[in-house]
Amino acid sequence: MTIVRSPLVTEFETTLEAAQGEIARFDSWAALASFACSLDLNPVARSGLPLDDIETPRSVEAIADRPVGVTQAALAVAETGSLLLVEPDPLDRYVSLLTRHLIVAVREEDIVPTLADAFGWLAAQPRAAAYATFVTGPSRTADIERSLTIGVQGPSRLTAAILTERRP
Amino acid sequence: MTSFTTRYRRAAADPHLRGGLLDFQRSWRVSRDGQMARLEERSGKSFDQLRGEFAQTKDDTLARLDDYIAEFREQAEAAGATVVEVETAQDALEYITAICRARGIDLIVKSKSMVSEEIELNHHLEAANIRAIETDLGEWLLQLASERPSHLVMPAIHQRRERVAALLGEELEQEFDPDDIPAMVASARGGLREHFLKAGAGLTGANALIAETGSIMLVTNEGNARLVTSLPKIHFVTAGIEKLIPSWADAQRQLQLLPRSATAQHLSTYTTCITGAQPGKEMHIILLDNGRRSMAADPQIADALRCIRCGACANVCPPYQVVGGHAFGHIYTGAIGLVNTPFHHGPEHAAGPQSLCVSCGACAEVCPVDIPLPEQILQLRSRNAHAPLWERLALQFWARPRWFRLGARLGALASPLLRRLPLPPRHRWRTLPPIPGRTARQRIAARRPQPPIAATEAGERNVSLFLQCLTDTLLPEAADAAARLLEAAGARVYVPPKQHCCGLPAFDAGDWETARRMAKQTITALEEHPGRDIVTPAASCQIAMQRHWPQLLADDPPWRARGEVIARRSYDLAEYLETTARLPDGALAGPPNDADDSYAVHRFCQGSNVMGWDARVERLVARLTGAEPEPLREAATCCGFGGLTSITAPEVGQGILERKLDCVAETDAETLVTNNPGCVLHLRAGAEARRMPHRTQHYAEYLAARLP
Ligand code: SF4
Repeated sequence: MTIVRSPLVTEFETTLEAAQGEIARFDSWAALASFACSLDLNPVARSGLPLDDIETPRSVEAIADRPVGVTQAALAVAETGSLLLVEPDPLDRYVSLLTRHLIVAVREEDIVPTLADAFGWLAAQPRAAAYATFVTGPSRTADIERSLTIGVQGPSRLTAAILTERRP
Repeated sequence: MTSFTTRYRRAAADPHLRGGLLDFQRSWRVSRDGQMARLEERSGKSFDQLRGEFAQTKDDTLARLDDYIAEFREQAEAAGATVVEVETAQDALEYITAICRARGIDLIVKSKSMVSEEIELNHHLEAANIRAIETDLGEWLLQLASERPSHLVMPAIHQRRERVAALLGEELEQEFDPDDIPAMVASARGGLREHFLKAGAGLTGANALIAETGSIMLVTNEGNARLVTSLPKIHFVTAGIEKLIPSWADAQRQLQLLPRSATAQHLSTYTTCITGAQPGKEMHIILLDNGRRSMAADPQIADALRCIRCGACANVCPPYQVVGGHAFGHIYTGAIGLVNTPFHHGPEHAAGPQSLCVSCGACAEVCPVDIPLPEQILQLRSRNAHAPLWERLALQFWARPRWFRLGARLGALASPLLRRLPLPPRHRWRTLPPIPGRTARQRIAARRPQPPIAATEAGERNVSLFLQCLTDTLLPEAADAAARLLEAAGARVYVPPKQHCCGLPAFDAGDWETARRMAKQTITALEEHPGRDIVTPAASCQIAMQRHWPQLLADDPPWRARGEVIARRSYDLAEYLETTARLPDGALAGPPNDADDSYAVHRFCQGSNVMGWDARVERLVARLTGAEPEPLREAATCCGFGGLTSITAPEVGQGILERKLDCVAETDAETLVTNNPGCVLHLRAGAEARRMPHRTQHYAEYLAARLP
């Protein structure tokens, strides 16, 4: 079987990679979970994901500086290579911010073409807008002699995990 | 804060600062242009369209600011936030301190906020025994060094790695290898973490305040703003009232322009939108006026409230490259700092930095919200002119045609001697120009007209040549060459005898009263023969007539109208030679009368940045001579002449000129050609002092040397 990748997905991958993000593809949550576990024996995940074997800690201290974290994006933007994280719960934010290598699951069907599409979606979701972040690559700084350094307060690696499995 | 003079001297004596900023400006420009080109392609709109549309949104919002503030407040408060509007910096400080006291908070973590710098928050909190810790790496380094930001977006851009290693070493009690930047960054992360966990409150700015939902938008790369807004129980937001925008759609349009202009990224790493207080937490949004309403009420300045604090105006600014933001700015740096400082911090803090602006117009060309920064800077200079006595006297002298010409005659006599005397040490990077014995008008009157070499439309035209005061006395050969080219195209050339100076030197210096007198004198002199076309080899005067006279004579409608008539009749020589006096292609292809003929073109900066002339001179010279110019890097970047700036701030004139001459040295051109007499003089004086082998000419001279 040949896999036909939509131009939207290709665009998303290219723009995210240009921002030092990485791409992985999985056909199920189980496959994603084993990928996370292959990177670290004890990954952490935000709450509410179908990842039975992965821990969902309930305190900053238990999350901070863990090698691998898993979260999920509400949608992704092809134009900018961004992942939209909707995180009203601060614990979810600690996972996406304080782990060293962040894996962000996003369904292939949830990739939208433009930032304008994503803002349109967000404007219509008051609850999501309580705390929403577009993440475009790993955390970075160029504050010391303009030298680009990856990983400051946030993760130093970011992988967009594209889930090809469609919504049940 | 140290005085402007000290800040200026310190910066001017620091070669590493200029070197670092030069690399930065060059690499930023390439990346930013690439980003904008891709945006134009993707959106199907030009940069001018995109920025025009967003500027319109900002203007419409500011016109109904109170309505949008009310809407924002209603929405944010419905979502659990507290919104306060404060008039002064003091009010903002008192509010924040009172909340901290009431909640027993003694530690605040901050993410980058220019408004908090504006109100000097850290300093005041310290006095109230509340510790504030900056968590943006650059801001933290500044805090450790007790310094102010020198750039809106890259606040610590002036610090070198050795200094950073020393600062971090002291704070974290650890040795750092200055070349291991990742190790320093990693330690900073560790060093800041405990503060996040202990802080009672977090403080952020806001890149936008979205009225329709009462949301704030924050753009960062490090991720610290998300921590600041997540860990502590209280979130303060300090933002200027100009940050209001109506809708999410507008926020998205702001994002098209902001990161591309700021860091040349298509989007920063984190764009966070927060609506209201999170469960169990407090959010206090402090909307600051601090002079913004006065700006809004000032028709010449109101546009500056569109600013989205991208820093692009500093990234293209030649004087900023030479001295950095500590001298070229107060708390706000770059061109916008020269405009908003009088309103936020008082005119006395703006005068020094304003005196460094060379009016090249580069900032207005890249500003993503199309603020007319150069005009505003000149406007404010005119309101706040504290020129030294010698400068005022010099302008009075300049303004009087007879005195000026007498001075030139005396100068011509003294010139051979003066040129042999050493210049004051701060000026030794240039030489004094020789002052020829005969003025341009004398030369032109003394020779026979050039016979026409081809029939052009100019054959039926009478032309009044506007020489320009400097060209008349210091570059008579250029004005004469201009006359000969026009005659070669068949025009009858006259030199109106009463002409003198368009007023530009006084206008630039902020002495608009004198400038008005000079402009009116020129208008009267050129009005004498209303049927003639007016042509000038001085691009700067052409721009002054077209762009500055309306500003200068705004309150004097009859004179303004007379000035407009003159401006309509007048042409830049290069333009006239491409249209009415258009000699055929290759008409001047013959061998030059002297020297070799490879050439490069320095484009008068305002011609490109203000008038959009771009390669006008290259096209003209190439068409007439049949020879293409040698490519010159940064061809349209200012040469550093900049009116009086190169005299009052010689290090700025020198630094900008060196950048230019280094680019010239990269070419093999025998002749450097340019289109403004001020540039010819400045470039020639610098090249002579450096003993560079090329010669510098006005293009009219370069072309006229090829007349039969
Ligand atoms: S004035 Fe324009 S270029 Fe300068 S910081 Fe503001 S928006 Fe950017």
